[in-house]
Amino acid sequence: MSVAVRVNREGDHASLVPAGTFDLAHMTAVARAVQETETRLSGCVSVDVDLAQLDRIDGAGAVLIASFLNRLDADGGHTRIVEGDNLKAARLIALYRERRADHAVPQTHSKSRLARLGGLAAQLPRKANEALDFSGRCAVALPKTAAFPGSVDWCSLPRLIQEIGADALPITSAASLLVGIIIGFLGVSQLGRFGAVAYVPELVVVAHFRELGPLVTAIVVAGRSGAGLASEIATMKVSEEIDALRSMGLDPVRWLVVPRCLALALTVPLLTWVGDVLGLVGGLGATAVITHITTRAYIQATMNAITAEHFLAGFVKTPFLGLAIGLIACGQGLLARGGSAAVGTRTTTAVVLGIFSVIVISSMFTFFFALIGI
Amino acid sequence: MPLPRPHITVENLSIGWGAQVLMVHVSFQVERGTIFTILGGSGCGKSSLLRFLIGLEQPPTGRIDIDGVGEPHRYEGVPPFGVLFQSGALFSSMTLAENLALPLTTWTPIRGAIARELIQAKLDLVGLGPFAEHLPAEISGGMKKRAGIARALMLEPDLLFFDEPSAGLDPISAVELDRLVLTLSRDLGITIVIVTHELPSIFLVADHCIVLDKAAKGIVARGDPRQLRDASEIPFVHNFFARSLPGASANQGG
Repeated sequence: MSVAVRVNREGDHASLVPAGTFDLAHMTAVARAVQETETRLSGCVSVDVDLAQLDRIDGAGAVLIASFLNRLDADGGHTRIVEGDNLKAARLIALYRERRADHAVPQTHSKSRLARLGGLAAQLPRKANEALDFSGRCAVALPKTAAFPGSVDWCSLPRLIQEIGADALPITSAASLLVGIIIGFLGVSQLGRFGAVAYVPELVVVAHFRELGPLVTAIVVAGRSGAGLASEIATMKVSEEIDALRSMGLDPVRWLVVPRCLALALTVPLLTWVGDVLGLVGGLGATAVITHITTRAYIQATMNAITAEHFLAGFVKTPFLGLAIGLIACGQGLLARGGSAAVGTRTTTAVVLGIFSVIVISSMFTFFFALIGI
Repeated sequence: MPLPRPHITVENLSIGWGAQVLMVHVSFQVERGTIFTILGGSGCGKSSLLRFLIGLEQPPTGRIDIDGVGEPHRYEGVPPFGVLFQSGALFSSMTLAENLALPLTTWTPIRGAIARELIQAKLDLVGLGPFAEHLPAEISGGMKKRAGIARALMLEPDLLFFDEPSAGLDPISAVELDRLVLTLSRDLGITIVIVTHELPSIFLVADHCIVLDKAAKGIVARGDPRQLRDASEIPFVHNFFARSLPGASANQGG
């Protein structure tokens, strides 16, 4: 069915007869017909709209006719609806005319790159303030936890250790095993050029125990458990569960953050320890496959290379890595504000910051050990 | 002259989740252009019934038929009805205008100035004209529900489903919402199915209702809610409308 508006003009009076289907499916044709009619009505002071020929009209068609009539009225014209027997169309148009709020339609302005950069820079002090505020609340929470042990949800600790530790074991172990294999292959290919393949076991031990073992484990935990914790707490925040905790007199930092950080500080060292063993197995596998070194000789060389110094240099930083992951994930979760979009944003930030902080903390330990000659 | 076909026909519908049976052999019809309410206490399966009516679930037994659509769970194409979920279910990362634009840009070629005009008109219709660029987190619960109605209206459906529209609203917001529902029905001729247990709202807007009972696993009464309130002799229906505890009327009478 075609859409048309017939115009009968006599001097400064016009009679409009819209005909056809004025609905959402024919919106483009309706808009075009209304626009054409508008250009033909310049100078008219009195306009009648006869609805008798309208076959069908829905809200969308009524919106266009209503805004067209409102524009005519605003220009000083006089408009009148001739209902005929099309009462429904008249009521629809009248509804949208009377509900038309008298305000400018807000336009969205896309910001320039410079403005966006400025906006980001302007947010930095607020973000630094949020981070410092959270750090301060955590610092206050520790002595209070010692004074009031009942204010911490200790019952959730076994579950959290299970979820963060035991459930993450397969993925952290697999990552460590593969890193061990990579170091093994690299060692054989590079040290082999100088005839020093016999030093590969020592390379694997030093690289994995001191640096890569803790780092790989912490990065996997930051990606897996950090995201889980941040989204859990952010969802609690946006669904007012955190407010409910506070209304019951419970400090969310002590109730939620302390057990989660504790669980991470306990489990990351254990995961690292298992990962170290599997890293050695990976190095052994790689070396045994592509060199003539026997398994027995490799194990012997590995045993000689393992020292308490190497092990502790890596192991001592793992609780700090776990703690950093937990603090960042929980902090980001607690900072969520708004709806489900905030959960996604905070989770992403928690993972990115978690991984970055793990690398920074790990390198700080390395610098410190290098300075004191360990 | 043949009678007009009912807008929704439900025949012998039985629903449940797993081993739990919520209702058995439920049948009713919704006439075109009316406001139909589904009533019942908490846990009787009102919202579950709504999920079946809007095609989110496939009925295990029985049949649901929407005039011009067929069985809702099999329907594909431009959504033939609008749905207002209990929380409004607005997308929190989008402004109200973007929320309303989504069905329009997904299902129609309308873009640019005409789309903005239609979106603004719908927001004006529900009284949210000045809030087009606000995020859902920045507006109140009642406003979210009204924005949800505006979004449900974007594709000009002739059938709307509302899940607990006035639950959790202050009395003034609830009355405003009820008036909006009446306007949609009377002026736009839309058939509206409302799941609710808000009595003032029911008496103000409903043309027809069914009352579901958890114990009876089905419909215990149907008809005009005002007549049911005044004349029903079924104890559950009487207690429901009188807001009294089971047995209270008998004790008072005795």
